[in-house]
This record gives sequence, structure tokens and C-alpha cells, in this order.
Amino acid sequence: MGVLFERYLKGDRVIWLLVMFLFFASLLLIYSSSSSLAFRYHDGNTSYFLIKQAAFLLMGFAIIWFVHLVHYNIWSGLSNLLLGLSIPLLGFTLLFGRNLNAASRWLEIPGLGITIQSSDFAKIALVIYVAKVLSQRQKEIKDFNQLFIPLILPIGLICALILPANFSTAALLGLTCWLMMLVGRVNLKYLLGYSGLGLLLVGLFIVAALHFNFGGRAQTWVNRIENFVSNDEKNDGNYQLEQSKIAIATGGIIGKGPGRSTQRNFLPHPYSDFIYAIIIEEYGVFGGVVIMIFYLILLYRAGLLVKRATRTFPAFLAFGLALLLTLQAFVNMAVATGVIPVTGQPLPLVSLGGSSLMFSSLAIGIILSVSRHQGKKELFEGEEVPVEEAKEKI
Amino acid sequence: MAIGVESNRRFVIAAIIVVFFVAVIFKLFYIQVINKSYKFSADNNVLRYITQYPARGLIFDRYGNPLVVNKPVYDILMVKKQVQSFDTVEFASLLGLTVEQVREAFVLAQKQKGYSPRKAVVLLKQIPPESFARFQEKIYKFHGFEVQPRTVRSYNMPIAAHLFGYVGEVDETVIKSDPYYQQADYIGISGIECSYEKYLRGKKGVKIFMVDVHNRIKASYEQGRYDSVAVPGKSITSTIDAKLQEYGERLMQNKIGSIVAIEPRTGEVLAMISSPSYNPELLVGRDRAANFRSLQQDTLKPIFNRSIMALYPPGSTFKVVNALIGLQEGVLTPETRYSCHGGYTVGRGVGCHIHPSPTNLIQSIQVSCNTYYCYVFRNIIDKKEFGSVENGFSVWKRHVESFGYGNKLNIDLPHELKGIVPSVAFYNKYFRKGGWNSLTIISLAIGQGELSVTPLQMANLASIIANRGYYITPHVVKKIEGLSIDTIYRERHTTTIDPKYFVYIIEGMDLAVNGAPGSGSTARIAALPDIKICGKTGTAQNPHGADHSVFFAFAPKDDPKIAISVYVENAGFGATWAAPIASLMIEKYLKDSISRPFLEQYVLQGNLLDRRAKKK
Repeated sequence: MGVLFERYLKGDRVIWLLVMFLFFASLLLIYSSSSSLAFRYHDGNTSYFLIKQAAFLLMGFAIIWFVHLVHYNIWSGLSNLLLGLSIPLLGFTLLFGRNLNAASRWLEIPGLGITIQSSDFAKIALVIYVAKVLSQRQKEIKDFNQLFIPLILPIGLICALILPANFSTAALLGLTCWLMMLVGRVNLKYLLGYSGLGLLLVGLFIVAALHFNFGGRAQTWVNRIENFVSNDEKNDGNYQLEQSKIAIATGGIIGKGPGRSTQRNFLPHPYSDFIYAIIIEEYGVFGGVVIMIFYLILLYRAGLLVKRATRTFPAFLAFGLALLLTLQAFVNMAVATGVIPVTGQPLPLVSLGGSSLMFSSLAIGIILSVSRHQGKKELFEGEEVPVEEAKEKI
Repeated sequence: MAIGVESNRRFVIAAIIVVFFVAVIFKLFYIQVINKSYKFSADNNVLRYITQYPARGLIFDRYGNPLVVNKPVYDILMVKKQVQSFDTVEFASLLGLTVEQVREAFVLAQKQKGYSPRKAVVLLKQIPPESFARFQEKIYKFHGFEVQPRTVRSYNMPIAAHLFGYVGEVDETVIKSDPYYQQADYIGISGIECSYEKYLRGKKGVKIFMVDVHNRIKASYEQGRYDSVAVPGKSITSTIDAKLQEYGERLMQNKIGSIVAIEPRTGEVLAMISSPSYNPELLVGRDRAANFRSLQQDTLKPIFNRSIMALYPPGSTFKVVNALIGLQEGVLTPETRYSCHGGYTVGRGVGCHIHPSPTNLIQSIQVSCNTYYCYVFRNIIDKKEFGSVENGFSVWKRHVESFGYGNKLNIDLPHELKGIVPSVAFYNKYFRKGGWNSLTIISLAIGQGELSVTPLQMANLASIIANRGYYITPHVVKKIEGLSIDTIYRERHTTTIDPKYFVYIIEGMDLAVNGAPGSGSTARIAALPDIKICGKTGTAQNPHGADHSVFFAFAPKDDPKIAISVYVENAGFGATWAAPIASLMIEKYLKDSISRPFLEQYVLQGNLLDRRAKKK
């Protein structure tokens, strides 16, 4: 095992172990929680989703493995292309995508029969892009205007394109980029200035959407926030939350045991958005905290990469991607426990669903690639500013 | 820090993560530990508890004849979500209801607490078997309706409504205070149904079913391992003699008042009549609420159990108590004689009727002389050794209370009143301290004034005299299936009077009934040729109109089998109505036949309801 590990799985071993554990957990949880889905769509063939998820996980594993072999600098080179690609993709999805609950998030890839959530793609593209820009322009980004074209405009544009269909993803991505810029030594005054401006625009959008009745989701957001604040029991959002809390309350410290959830039959999306409630119902607070700590370890390992990094691009890249995954995980947990209003964020690497899993795997692959190459101390002849030099400028 | 992130910026990220972490952990703790409500709703989600209602225990008379039994009724439940449009007219007519009633029930059902369109809720209650049988044949036509069989009371004889009491649905306060009860459960509200509720109710069972998201039953939960069967309530044998009770109620028709008959040796209540009464069937079934309302509005208060709740002045019957106290305190001997010429003339005076004079103790009871007892009473209160009126009065009060007056006897029925025996404090307040003496309260000598007893306490006095000085707490339940009754119904309570003094009282009461013509006996009307009845009349003045006719007695003299008290409100002299009724009751009980049909006819035809309004 150790030898195999050494030979084939390069990079941070802790992250590898983490991923394997989460994949395993995913398999157990999906098998248990997809039963209602199985009865609804596949005549009670409960292994349908087990096999499907297993296939996805294998694919995810393959993606991680291939990507971690690739040198991370390739992403620097591809970043403009990827970002350029994601803009029309998002636009196209917004206009013609498959519509679920008035949210156009999905795009069918012709011929393959799989649907992807274009925002998953755009998230990664944007993080790569921001990491690249931050590392290249360490010298220049001290100026308010100079900041605008290369960073604020693309971030704003991508978030704005995601926003109408998926508020929480846009917010999560915005927050991730904001934190990356914070780490990337962007002047705090400018950062706050732009974020104020951004919030203002979002507010205006919501008001306009409500007023002119065009953004189908705006009303949902308002409802969910009202639900969250008012605790009115009759609403659908609260039904989900009530059932989720019941799951948590009955889980206890060590849970009911694998596959013994009863709330899976009452919770909508127990296999994705509310999977954390099922984790606690079946594995207790113990299981819930373990999963939570795993994501924290992921972030911590990424932090270590940053600390040891000699170059800024891989550091920003790994940190940004780890942050993206961790924040998403926390939003998922916070929704299931009712800390924040209901919003649909799958638990990365665990929830059912190909699209999220593929792109989360891609992110993990890139992080592993960074860790794999870090030890080698190679120098790359790019436009990057070496770290020591950057440090002097601060 | 290799890439030189400023430490405060790193701190921002750490802070955001920590806040998330702590918030989620705190929320988990809150949901699991602090807020309990989610645990309960968890079971409600998947399990449906269907209550299995037990049949209430039966109630028998003292000879084992079933008096209170059960009959089946059916509650119709509905699951709104499954109800499809149907023919309301047919639905209503099958159930024997009007369309309006059905419509109203639909509206009400959806307003009830805990209503859910996916849950079975009670739509119509207590549909009788005849209507239900018609409905059942056509139930296939009506989707979304279910049936819950229940049992309600049925009465083999329309008697003893107060004694048995009635059953109704539990109210909110009971549900909150006693976890056994849930909405729609029945509970005994008065009478034996109330005091023996714990035995009669049995034990509810429950069947647990798994339900799906739409609350439809899928299967029995864990193959019924946690189901429990309903245990029927325990049957109760009451002490009541059904025939005597029925006879008493017949005698009391068109009269207001009460009869209480006790077996002296055991304290068992043989009959307990409160008139006017009502048919217990009225408080069963769908019309219960309406019937209850009309009974409640009746000015004759048929729901009021006069036997244990009416407070009457004891009148002349109380003289025997004063005589016993006088003998015990040594201020009176059997030979003591007082003459009476129309009354006691000290102070305001107390009038008396014409009778041979002077009288000794026995004669004073025989002729019910008021004057005699004014002397006796004052001699007790003013006895030198006591030192003061207050002390004298306290001694007297202690004796009186040993007869069970002024306190609850603790019969096994709810809502018993304790009657009134005034206290020193009362008089000190009413007059002023030192402002009263034996003369001020002279009315107590003849059982008037600030003195009130219940008919039960009066019958108990008859019992004490029959037993020569003790009583067993009167009770209405003889046996509970498989269990013995409370030991307090076996204990003897002795009075403060030496048993030897009772002989004189008994002699006096014997003469009052069986004295020679012209001797001044007050209750000759009650005499029977072959049974020696000992009795004492009373004519109780009261503020509500004409005097109450009072009589208490026991028989036979030498081996008392029955002690009885009769109150007939506003009926005049004790001898006019109360004594004949008591006599007929005694004969009925001891011989099961009536030798004096003329007396019976006289009583049965007596209608005294119109006397009520008239003032004396």
C-alpha cells in the first residue's frame, strides 16, 4: 500500500487520504439517502444510485489522478481561455439552460447525455484567473483603477452572470475571490470600496428584479430570507429546515447507524443539499464534526502549501481552490443546521451529482498538483514575481 | 510566513472559518440538547398511533344486577386529502342527520386543534349502531372516511342518575394535568363514574402503524411488537339496592328533596335519591350537550345532588344529639323533667306545640318538646365546670362534630359538602366577643339557627343511633372487581358519647313512632304492625319558604338493618310527608312488599312542587 501510494499518488498524502475517506462516506450516504429517489424514478432499485455514484466517484478519482500529474503552470496558461469560455457558457445557460425551479443552472452537453452546471466550471476558471492575475501583478495592484480592469471586472462579470440563477454560488464565489485578494495583498481600502459597490449593485438588482418581475428567483430569495427571519412554519423553505432539524435532533451523539435514517423520506434532497442532516442522523454529532474537521484539514493543508510556497501563483491557486471547497462545505452545513437561510449548495465531494463532483475533483487535482511540485523547488520562467521579491514591496 | 500574507489578513480568514465552525456546532447543540420539540415531531413523522379504547367497567347493584352497561357507537373520521366529492344528502340521511349538520361538522372538524388534511380527524361523534349499520353498507361510496368504534354508557334502569354520574369528553385542563388523557378521551365527570374513574376507565391500548409521507398507513410497526391491547375497565358492585332506589325515586316524584338509606352495620348506602332527578340516558350520545344545557337551566336543579350537596337545618331531629350531649356531660338524666306550656319563655322565647306536660327525657323525644331542649342546651353551654360560654360551646361543638357534622363524611362520591357547625370565632365575629350567651344561640337547641347538615349526615345520625354510638363511613361501592375497597370504609368512628346513653334515645324514638294514640307521639303515621321502626320527625324552618318535612329513622329496633333520612322541601311537618316516605322505604327494603297501599297512593299522588314559591 505504502509503496503503491509512493509510486502513483504523488503530492500531499493527507489530502489524498481525506479525499478517499470523503468518497467512501459519499458512497454510504448516497446509498442510504437516495432511497426515496430510487423509489420515485427507478422502481425501488436502490442500487441504481449506488452504482451511479460509484461510477461518478471513480471518474472523480480519475480526474484527480490525471490532473495531479499535470504541472500546475498549465492552468496559468489556460486561465484566460477558460475564463473567456465560461462567460458565453454562463450566458448561454442563463438563456437556454434546463430550467429547474425557475433556476437556469444546467447545461446539457450534446451527445453525452450529461448535464453540467456551468457555474461549477466558471468558479474554477475564475479562481485560476484571479490567482494568476494576483501573482503577476503584485507590483501594479496598488492602484484603484489598475485594479479594476484585470480583477474587479472579470470577477464582477462572472458573479453577475451566475447571480440571477444561483445567488448563493455567486456570493460564495465573490467571497472566495475577495479573500484571495485579501491574501493577495490588494489594498484593503480599495477592496472595501469595491465590495461596497458590488453589494450596492446586487441590492439594486434585487430591487429591480422584484419591481419589474423579471428575475424569477428574486422572489424566492426574499421568501427564504423572510422565512429565516420570521420562522413561519407553513412555508416550504421551513418545511425542509424543520425536517432537517428533526434529523439532527434524533441523531444524537453517535447517530442511528449507517442506513438507518428515517428523515431521508421526508427531507427534500437528502442526497445533496441536506446531506449533512443525514450525516448527523446516521452518524451523530460525532460524524458531523468529523466531516467538518476534514474540510478544515483540507484548508489547513492548503494553508501549509501557501506557507511553504516559493512562488505566488501555486500558493494563491491552491489556497483559492481549497477556500472555494471549504466555504461551500460550510454553507451546506450551515443550511442544514439552520444557521443561514435555505440555499442549495451540495457538500463538495460527498453529495450526489456528477457536475459538482467532477469540478470538485478537478480542484482537488490542482491542489495536489501544486503540492506535488512544491517539493521539487523548480523554477519556472514565467512572469511571476518570486516571493522574496514580492515581500519586499509590501 | 513565506509569501508574506500580513498576519492580520490571515486572521480575517481564520476568523471567518471559526465563526462558521462555532455557529454550526452551536446550532447542533441547540437542536439536539436545548430544543426538545424536534424529537417529538420525529416520531410523528413516521408513526401513527391509533388508540384502542377500552370499554368502561360495568356498575352492578348490591345483588349483582347490572345497572350501568356499555353500548357501541361509532365515530366517523375523515382524512380530508382523500375525501372525494360525494353525495352529501345521501351521506347525511344514511347517518340520520341533516345536510346542515354534516356541513357544520365539516367546518368544525377542520377547525379543531391539530387538524391536518392528511390525518384522520373526528368528523362525527357517537353515531348509534342503527345509523352506522346503514352507513356501513354504503361506505365504499365515500372515500376518505374511517370508522372508530367506541362505547358509551347505557342504563338498564333509568335510576340513580346522581349516584352513577355521567361520562364526558376530557377538557383541556385535565389533559394538561394528567398525562393519561388525550383529546377525545372519555372521563367520569360526577358520581361513581368520577370517584372510581381510575378503575372504571381501564387502560387504553395503542396500535402503532408506519405511515408514508402522505400519512397513509403502510404496515404495522415492528410487527406490532410495541402495540398494546386495551384493557377493559374493572366492574364495580355498588351498595345500591336497585329496587329500593327505584321505589324511592317513585315516592319522591313531584317532590323536591332527598332520601338516603344506609345499612348501619356496614355503612353501605342502600339508596340515595335526590329529587327531582333525570334519566341518565339523557347525558349519553350526540344530544348530551343539548340535554345537559336544558337540565342546567331547569329551576328545580335536577343535576344538583341534594343527598350530599344540599344544606338543610336539621330541625327537631337534632334534639337527640343535644339529649346525648346533655347525658354525657351529666347535665341531664333520664329522669329529668321539664314542664312546657306552649314554649320556652326566657328571652325571645321558643314556641312549642301542645303536648302532655311535663315530660321526662324519653317523652321529650316522643313528643318533640322544644322547651325541654332549650333547658338541656342551656345547661350544657352554661355548665359551671366549663367556666365560660365559649368553653361550654366548644365542648358542645366537639361532641356535635363527633357525629360527623360540620365535616365531610368522606363518602366515595365527589362534591360532598361538609355542612355547617358554627364556631366560637363565628359568634365572636357575628355578635362580638362576650356579646353572646346560651340564650342568644338558643335556636341550636332545636336544630335551627346557624346549623346545616346534608341528608347524608342525617342518615348517618340514624346509623349512629342504630349502632349505639358509632358509624362506618357511608359508601356507595361494595366491591371492585378483584380489588378490595378502601379501608376507610371499614373503620368504626365512635362518637364522644358513652354507648349506654343511646338506650334512652332509642326508647324515645320508638315511642315517637309506636306510642299509644293520644300520648303525643309525633310519627305514628310511620308505624308498621310487625316491624319496630324508631324515628324522629323534624320540621325545619328555612328561609326558602314553607318548612321542610324531615324524618330520620332506623329499623328494626333490636337488629337495625336500615337507617334512613328523608327531606322533603317545603312540605310542612315531618310527619306529613317525610315520615310516611321513610316508613314505606323501610317496609319495601325489609319486606319487599307494601302493606299499606293507601299510604303509598297518598305519597305517590302528592305533588308539592307548587309549594316551593309560597312563603310560609
